[in-house]
Amino acid sequence: MPTLNRFHGERFLLWVDGVGGYLVCLQPSVTLGRAEPPAAADIPLIADLSIPHARITRDGEGYTIEAFRPTWVDGRLVERLTLLSDDCRLQLGGAVRLRFRRPHALSASARLEYLSGHRTVPTTDGAVLMADHLILGAKPRSHVVCREWAGEVILFQENGRLHCKTPGRFAVDGRPVRDRAPLDAASRVQGEDWSFTLEPLSC
Amino acid sequence: MLETEYAVEDRYPSPSGSSPPPHAAPPARRFDYPGGARPLEGYTIKRGIGHGGFGEVYYAVADSGKDVALKLIRRNLEVELRGIAHCLNLKHPNLLAIYNVLQDAEGNYWVVMEYVAGTSLQDVLAEHPKGLPAAEALAWFHGLAAGVGHLHKHGIVHRDLKPGNIFIFCEEGVVKVGDYGLSKFIACSRRSGQTESVGTVHYMAPEIANGRYGKEIDIYALGVILYEMLTGRLPFEGETVGEILMKHLTASPDLSDVPAEFRGVVARALEKDPEKRFHSVGEMLAELPAPPAGGYVGPTRGIPMGQRAAPEQQHTDAYPEQTEFVAAQLAEPVDEEPIYRGLKRGFHRAKDFWHSREMTLPVKVLVATGLVVLVIFNAGFIVPAVIGLLMLYACYWVVRALVVQPKPAQSPTPPAGKPASPPQNVAPGERETVVHRYYSAGTRRRMLRAELSRRPMRQRVTELLGSLLASAAVAAIATVIAALLRSFQQDIPSLAQATWLYGMTVLASWSILIAGKFWEDREGDTAWRRFVMLVMGLGLGAVGFALMKFLLADLPFDPRGFRAMSGNLRLPWNVPSGFYDGGEPMLPALSAVFGTLFLILRWWRMCDPMRSARLTISSLIVVAIAAAGVATVWEFPWHWLILPAVATGFTVQMAAPWFTPRLKNESQPRWDE
Repeated sequence: MPTLNRFHGERFLLWVDGVGGYLVCLQPSVTLGRAEPPAAADIPLIADLSIPHARITRDGEGYTIEAFRPTWVDGRLVERLTLLSDDCRLQLGGAVRLRFRRPHALSASARLEYLSGHRTVPTTDGAVLMADHLILGAKPRSHVVCREWAGEVILFQENGRLHCKTPGRFAVDGRPVRDRAPLDAASRVQGEDWSFTLEPLSC
Repeated sequence: MLETEYAVEDRYPSPSGSSPPPHAAPPARRFDYPGGARPLEGYTIKRGIGHGGFGEVYYAVADSGKDVALKLIRRNLEVELRGIAHCLNLKHPNLLAIYNVLQDAEGNYWVVMEYVAGTSLQDVLAEHPKGLPAAEALAWFHGLAAGVGHLHKHGIVHRDLKPGNIFIFCEEGVVKVGDYGLSKFIACSRRSGQTESVGTVHYMAPEIANGRYGKEIDIYALGVILYEMLTGRLPFEGETVGEILMKHLTASPDLSDVPAEFRGVVARALEKDPEKRFHSVGEMLAELPAPPAGGYVGPTRGIPMGQRAAPEQQHTDAYPEQTEFVAAQLAEPVDEEPIYRGLKRGFHRAKDFWHSREMTLPVKVLVATGLVVLVIFNAGFIVPAVIGLLMLYACYWVVRALVVQPKPAQSPTPPAGKPASPPQNVAPGERETVVHRYYSAGTRRRMLRAELSRRPMRQRVTELLGSLLASAAVAAIATVIAALLRSFQQDIPSLAQATWLYGMTVLASWSILIAGKFWEDREGDTAWRRFVMLVMGLGLGAVGFALMKFLLADLPFDPRGFRAMSGNLRLPWNVPSGFYDGGEPMLPALSAVFGTLFLILRWWRMCDPMRSARLTISSLIVVAIAAAGVATVWEFPWHWLILPAVATGFTVQMAAPWFTPRLKNESQPRWDE
């Protein structure tokens, strides 16, 4: 499905100051596998995996995982396709363990947490499979939990372009804006007590 | 992640010199360098990690692809750089590596450090509120102690050991100690100039108060961390920084939750006197069981992204007045009663469930509505049941209080074979120089009042609840005595009458105890207190009337008998006719007598913790006379006022907390310091 986002590509990095770095995937279907350029997986892990090891696909509201190599969901071997539910554990190959979370009931976006100490290239603290929204905030239902933030910041796509929405004033690339603003591929967004930077990934 | 550790440092008053005022608002979490910035040749900053005591810390990637943490040094340049320079070439698997110190084009220094994508011990502890399994704790502790031992071997004291500075790689079973850039040389640590407070109060050895920064402070911090790993709690906790510091200085840790095989080690590491502690990390490790073979590879411990334990914000206040320490002494935890504890745990579990993810908002609304409806429709059954249970519990509580010997305050539980540390051996020299000044009784009273007002709210509420429960039990006994006294006059009260008597005694006692609790911390304005008491008395009378009607209790009033008793004393006025109906006192009569009775006596003095004795008979006599007077004035049946009044006086005094004279004296020397 070539739904290439014309501003941000299929994937970008979200560096949240004081919180962590996240690999955000906009495409509905992502492969997980070994990080080995140039043919790396969408979520490239430094691990003993096949280059495409499994594929997670967002289908409407739900997620499925398709296994190319031995993959387990909550301890059960994936025969071909399995549905993923919130808070289920994935195991890829012998060692890579991930947790799948869909923290917000009203958003189809999901996140993958790395449980086994394996990291992506470049190093991130988690991956977000972004559907409509990406919520950053202190609440546990946020896609990126920022414990010390007072408010919530929402990233959303409109006409193939990412926008940032949060009540009040903030700055995008040093430009003062209010409530909502479009973002560029490498925007720096700075609020009262929060900030983050987008970094495009060349495919 | 690194962020937790560096963030915590902000709460310390910075060293003298170019520091902001200690009470200034905390700086906004701003990072001067955005992602993508390259202040330092060869490194691209990706994001800010946190703010350290010396500047920001960033996660950056070297051009080669290596992950590093970059620490920008803005302040205390020399102190910091000297510390780091000596740590640069330390190599140990349990120490977070420092790669380099570089200067950028603007002349700022950057420390290039190992970047860790593990979790901090603080996060791990947050996930285990009851403590880690002993084997796991032991494995981490051995690694951590090895790292600290390596620092000591090279003459460096960490000075800021805390779980936020210790990183755990669960999968690999590796633990690393970080942020030892703050470390100072043992050799120069005793200099008088460098006495700024470093480290987290929870892990601060007592001798730091005297400006001693020997490696014993790391041993002490290791002891605290081991305690925390094993129990999930800190040995010394408190509401204020001062309270915690005071406990480090004087209180003995409660080691009852520490597994027996660790107790001796923890106790010795937590000795107040640095000389009595282990002299080296190796000595400490030698007394511990060996670590599990091959290190510990823990179970999967998924920490949600970003959900790191928040830095303990509550300790941002600067060091408080010395006097606050005394309040800490009074705030000794009471021996918890098992039923209460069980209920409390049940409540907490229910609360956890309520806030858990399984409970969605509609379900919560449904459950809450259901519960409310259930309670409303069954109030007729639930209310008496709850009252009955409370009374039963009160009786049990009193019996337990009598039977179970209360532990002496600050009971030290020294491990077998180890001498208990005397509570104030922190600064042996200082204790002797204390000047014992004489204070007048009035001054001491005022000081004790001030001390009372400094106690935490939680403790005061606990104390009040205890008094209320106790009063319910004492009132029962007082009622029985009153009924027996009546029976000598061939006038045994009916069950309804006795219940009324009991109810009135309990309610009157509770009113006085609650009001007294609010007033105990100052001498206060008598007129205002009397007014409040009057209002409560009027209300109590109304409740008494309602109770009488509800119980169908008659409080027979025979005017002829009354006249006969008062003999020739003819009242020069007539009581309003609405007061009595066929010999039965009505609402106005009850309100009038209780209002007057509450107005004319200073009841709150009976629950003053500083009253001269727990129970004074003279006060009961005064109450009886006052009640007789009030009853006469309003032509109220004597015994129906005197009995509840005296029973209330008795109950209040028995139930209200009272400082024994010993406690009063004990607190005196501390005021002299």
